[in-house]
Amino acid sequence: MNKKTDMSKEELALVSETTEENSRRAFFKKTAAYSVSALAATSVVGPVNASANEHVKANPEDDPHIMEEKPWSLKFGDDVTVNLYGQPSPYEHKVTRRTTPILSSGNMRASIAVTPLQDLNGIITPNGLFFNRHHGGTPTIDPNQHRLMIHGLVEKPIVLTMDQIKRYPNVSRIHFLECPANGGPEWRGPQFNSIQFAKGFMSCAEWTGVYIKDILKDLGLKPEAQWMLAEGIDSSHMGRTIPVDKVLDDAMIVWGQNGEALRPEQGYPLRIVVPGWEANLCVKWLCRLEFASEPFYAKEETSKYTALKQTGKAIQHFYANEVNSVITSPCPEKPWTDLKKGEMVEIEGLAWSGMGTITHVDISFDGGKNWVEASLKGLVLEKAWTRFSLMHKYTGEPMLLCSRAADDAGHVQPTVKQERKAVGIEGVYHRNGIHTWEIDAKGEVTNVQILS
Amino acid sequence: MYKSYHNSVAAKVLFASLFCFGNLTNIAASEQKNKPTEINGVPVVWPGESREEIKKYVGEAKALVSKKVTKKYDFNGKLVIDGGVYYPIVDGKTGSYYVNELAHKTPYNKGKRATANEQKAWDIDVMPDGTGLPEGSGSVEFGDEVYEEKCLSCHGDFGAGSGLYPRLTVGNAYEMHKTLTNQRVDPDTDGPHRAFGSYWPYASTLWWYIKTGMPHQAPMSLTTEEVYALAAYILHVNEMEIEGEEVDEDYVLDREKFLKIKMPNVDGFEPNINGPKGQDNARAYFNDPVNYGNGIRCMKNCFDGEPRVQRIAFALTDFSPPLDSTKTLPVVKDEKPAHSGKANYEASCAVCHATDAMGAPAVGDKKAWEAVMKKGIDAVKKNAIHGINGMPPKGGADLTDEQVNEIVDYMIEASK
Repeated sequence: MNKKTDMSKEELALVSETTEENSRRAFFKKTAAYSVSALAATSVVGPVNASANEHVKANPEDDPHIMEEKPWSLKFGDDVTVNLYGQPSPYEHKVTRRTTPILSSGNMRASIAVTPLQDLNGIITPNGLFFNRHHGGTPTIDPNQHRLMIHGLVEKPIVLTMDQIKRYPNVSRIHFLECPANGGPEWRGPQFNSIQFAKGFMSCAEWTGVYIKDILKDLGLKPEAQWMLAEGIDSSHMGRTIPVDKVLDDAMIVWGQNGEALRPEQGYPLRIVVPGWEANLCVKWLCRLEFASEPFYAKEETSKYTALKQTGKAIQHFYANEVNSVITSPCPEKPWTDLKKGEMVEIEGLAWSGMGTITHVDISFDGGKNWVEASLKGLVLEKAWTRFSLMHKYTGEPMLLCSRAADDAGHVQPTVKQERKAVGIEGVYHRNGIHTWEIDAKGEVTNVQILS
Repeated sequence: MYKSYHNSVAAKVLFASLFCFGNLTNIAASEQKNKPTEINGVPVVWPGESREEIKKYVGEAKALVSKKVTKKYDFNGKLVIDGGVYYPIVDGKTGSYYVNELAHKTPYNKGKRATANEQKAWDIDVMPDGTGLPEGSGSVEFGDEVYEEKCLSCHGDFGAGSGLYPRLTVGNAYEMHKTLTNQRVDPDTDGPHRAFGSYWPYASTLWWYIKTGMPHQAPMSLTTEEVYALAAYILHVNEMEIEGEEVDEDYVLDREKFLKIKMPNVDGFEPNINGPKGQDNARAYFNDPVNYGNGIRCMKNCFDGEPRVQRIAFALTDFSPPLDSTKTLPVVKDEKPAHSGKANYEASCAVCHATDAMGAPAVGDKKAWEAVMKKGIDAVKKNAIHGINGMPPKGGADLTDEQVNEIVDYMIEASK
């Protein structure tokens, strides 16, 4: 990293153009003086070392971080030439996706990396923290060589280059993508004392691309076409079948993610986004769309991504991620151990529904016996993460804290009991039962489930 | 800050105090008279119980429809297929977003027409009716050979699985199919056994999967005969029949026979998406939440008594990197230049050698490699080139002898 603190020639030229002769001399003097004091500040150890603060004598009750001069306030920081593609502060290096061997299929090329929900603000997931699941590793694709083929039951099968795709009128939409196995390891009871692993198989971003229906206008979709196969060009050749009704509603092919190109892990240069539906349907490294009258039965819609019910029948083509929510503060990673009795604290969380827009979120302090309605907060968008908030006076009493969301499609998050009654406990996918945190007298937070 | 979870004493008490039932099928036989409504907090639906019983637990979906939020698509007037809502363009907006309506009405005609040859090159899917399935054949015997060379190292002996790699069989497909009603309601019960033979609806998926996805490190590398042979072998280890004939060790599978495979669980999936009513069946299914669950917005006294709490019984904590919310500077390590064998190791060998789950000596495992090195470096390199135990020659990868030698040097270096 470039740690140069001297001014560049260009900067000096700029300074000399805009300052008087006298102030120029003063400027150089001042720069020299600062350099000396910066050196002094970093080499002196003690509660107070500041030349600038020498007029104030520190008392024991004063915060040394106020009374001491800090090295970063006494010398230049990095040039604008450093990190031309910006990076998070090095102090944030522990805010990362995380992995665990139990959630891989044998190796880390068919595995997942989960999003640190505990560290996120608002409804947008930074691209570097976006949930990642792939089946054959992340390829590095040359966009100049990438093609999208659209064929099958269309009058005019075509091939598009990336430049041609980007000529279609684009739309930008904020949508969550959720792995339908989010929470799936906990059908038979809680296992992860972590929000990142219990609920972090998802993220939310602004996607930029083109509605597939806009491309189809020119291709002559045949009336018998009911299904569309979306397929990737990576080594796993992932394919999924999507019904034409969804294609003609809001399915998009996208190249943009939060204002920049898709990240390689998210399908660079092209993926499909099927708003609100299983993220597994949102095939990455997209190369081919084929229309057919019968479904394709791809490997990831029979061997996986089917939900076995207690009747012995399995739900296939289980599209929308149903209404769901989780309290993000407090959580096991961000407990209430610093709170004092009587303090006010904000309970905050995320709600989402693949069927529509969040309309209500309720919060219970007693494991779901009694509920109060929380406020929705910020942007409330269809098929997107939605923040909710409730102010609470901390009592220090143990509690069972849970949230329950509802959407405009008329769906309400079920209790664990209601969900188990409907589908049993072997489904793996689409678990949206109410999530509960147990908070003890110290403010520690633990993942539990309520069976009442 | 994260604290590692203490195995809850309460959870153990909870499990200890619970009745030990067998699986549901067994219960169905033995407990029909006094059917418990739930076991270990798992509400039980008994064979023959009506939808009405489930309905008591499932809320209706009363959508908040308006001119901006509808239950029906405007392009075909049908209910939204996933049971959700649709946002038509009203007053220049769809849902929360403004729309340039003209932009979505203009024809563009981008791209070039796909040639027949281009489509043939990329059209790799195989459908249940045989679309995409090439002519050809392969024997169980040849499949066994190919399997040993290219598949066994991950999928284990006879497809029984290895480590976390998928099992290709759980035993006799027809017997194991009967386990799909099992629910692991307590730690001792037997769960449903899901594998190709017992669970998948169509064999076409198997052919497509092998051809385009396997072996994992070298997809699209198998010949048509090898794929038929492997499909035959997998049918064999699932103890399956085709038209009443057992797929035994002498069986030769071809396209015609392949299309006659009837999977035991072909009718095990809902909704039925086949045929011209496929989408409409899905539409009807997902617009009825009794099929998959929905809650009820109760606000007061939503259950009797104290809440019953299920705590973590077996905490999973093997996280990488470990959970840690502190803010510190990263520790800078001196990076050595990468070993010349490292890249090829990562591409071709790490699949098996990254951990010892496959029985292969794991890179970084000092003891394992000391044991290997007792044979002498020349023998180790020779084995790597010619194969040993479950490992095929050169790990099944397309490498020169020099490249393999470099990889071995790297693996030894990285395991000191």
